[in-house]
Amino acid sequence: MSDVIPKSAVTGCDSSGGFNPKIVMFCCNWCSYAGADGAGVSRFQQPANVRVVRVMCSSRVDPVHIYTAFLEGADAVLMTGCHIGDCHYVNGNDKTLVKYKFVKTMLNEMGLEDGRLTLRWISASEGQQFAEFVTEMVEQVKALGPSPLRKEGVV
Amino acid sequence: MSAPENMAPGNPASGNHAPGNPAPEGAAPAGKPPEKKPPAPSAVGEVLTASGISVGGKYIGWSVCDTVRKEGGSGGLVTAVLAGALEKGLVKHVVVLKKSSQYEAVPVLTSDVDDVYASAGSMHMLISNPTKYLRQFQNDAAIALAVKPCDMRGIREQQKRNMIDGDKIFTIGLNCGGTMMPYKIRKVTEEVYGVNPADVRAEEIEKGKLILETTDGEHHSQSIDELEEEDNGRRENCRYCAVKIAMNSDLACGNWGVMPDYAGKGTFVEVMTEKGAEFLRNAIEGGYAEVKEASEAATEARGKVNGIMLKMSAKTKEEIFVPMQSKTLIDFKKELENCIGCGACRTVCPPCACGNEAKCTAFDDPADSYDISLFHMVRFLHLMDSCVGCGQCSDVCPVDIPLARLYRKFANPIQDELNYVTGMDDRTPPFFEIKLEEVQ
Repeated sequence: MSDVIPKSAVTGCDSSGGFNPKIVMFCCNWCSYAGADGAGVSRFQQPANVRVVRVMCSSRVDPVHIYTAFLEGADAVLMTGCHIGDCHYVNGNDKTLVKYKFVKTMLNEMGLEDGRLTLRWISASEGQQFAEFVTEMVEQVKALGPSPLRKEGVV
Repeated sequence: MSAPENMAPGNPASGNHAPGNPAPEGAAPAGKPPEKKPPAPSAVGEVLTASGISVGGKYIGWSVCDTVRKEGGSGGLVTAVLAGALEKGLVKHVVVLKKSSQYEAVPVLTSDVDDVYASAGSMHMLISNPTKYLRQFQNDAAIALAVKPCDMRGIREQQKRNMIDGDKIFTIGLNCGGTMMPYKIRKVTEEVYGVNPADVRAEEIEKGKLILETTDGEHHSQSIDELEEEDNGRRENCRYCAVKIAMNSDLACGNWGVMPDYAGKGTFVEVMTEKGAEFLRNAIEGGYAEVKEASEAATEARGKVNGIMLKMSAKTKEEIFVPMQSKTLIDFKKELENCIGCGACRTVCPPCACGNEAKCTAFDDPADSYDISLFHMVRFLHLMDSCVGCGQCSDVCPVDIPLARLYRKFANPIQDELNYVTGMDDRTPPFFEIKLEEVQ
């Protein structure tokens, strides 16, 4: 019985039966979240796989948040924030960069694929870049398949 | 770590089989130095006065007291400096090792100079790191202690996190080629040496051999390399440790570089800080110790021994940290699946400074039943910029998870990338390097 159930059935699938990744995205309140807003207002098309979490600053994203996202079954985690130098809190995104470097090195050493954690700077006016980034990432994660950290049976 | 002159294989040859090792003879304890063709002398000139001591100076020193010279590892200089500091009131307490047997000792805080003298002598099977122990007392008064390089790195990391006041701590660093697990040496004593562990009176490492002296005066020796093949020699993390001379302490002592003329009778000491110079001057003025200027040859020999040890470490490191094959995650899950969540690894961890309310425990809930516990995930991350590689986590783990190796596995790439050696200087840990004032 078990072998006739496609893997996509337990990992979530779209109407055509393909793998439909779940992606957690952290957006900073001042740039990236406004960028997401801009993407919506301008009606740029993007896949609906991303769950946006708004944080006041990208540096608020603690490594624990990222780990928890993965352990709870996210297929990828995206971090976005203001461009370097534009941080609403002077240098929050510099700190994000350091944290990202550490978490990335660690997850890579653990054997999680490279594309599952990505950091990108998206400003409030870059609605189109936001939509493109999301599209690009969803394609990338679809190619990677379900996260090895996802617990079996979690949809 | 009080008086052991050379904590770990103090001898250059400890576990060292490399041919051309420059100082195997130099390491021979006691005994008459060979008179026939005197090699380069260790020391030059006359016995120095206190004013002759300066920061960066390299000296050969020994204790003035005969008993200390006899009991101490190589001339008893460390014991002499500690005793001098205590009696002259430079420090209020000294942390010494109280031996419970030839295999085990516990660090003890004392103000009694007799305890300091009693602790003279080397011990290669001491595995505890006194950093966390020190943290309980450091606010009371000035404390002096002898440390291995990894002990000192732990203390420095605590200093960076404002948990230990560096002004109140005086440290004598001891060369360390590695330490051994007491229970393993006990086992080896019975099974390989064929000696009753209770009969062992003293131990020494010489020319890559671990020598046990029994109460009847007999010497039993085994090659450390052979012991290590069976994983009975030095602890794993010591075998790939990259800091063998405690350059981060106030006085860096050891017998590497001591030529045959002073073998077993003198300690090579390098003054690293102004505080170190002050303590050494105090020992000389107070009539505890004598020093002579170290010769060029001695300095060179010390560097050479260190170089050989580091090369061996680098080799072992390459062997141990092979990139994992596919399915790395499953490997990790397997390594950690036995964890019972006792938290002992965190309790002993020298650089860990959070205290009771720590992120690693605050977010870790057994009810989560994640594949990999958040406790370990957080600790892996936190130790990426602070792991000193002391290996105590593996030692205390009740279910024998090779934690030190896992921590180093994550720490190595980022520390290499950022060119950051933990605990060797006052550089802010990379994770906290960005400060508000520095931007703009």
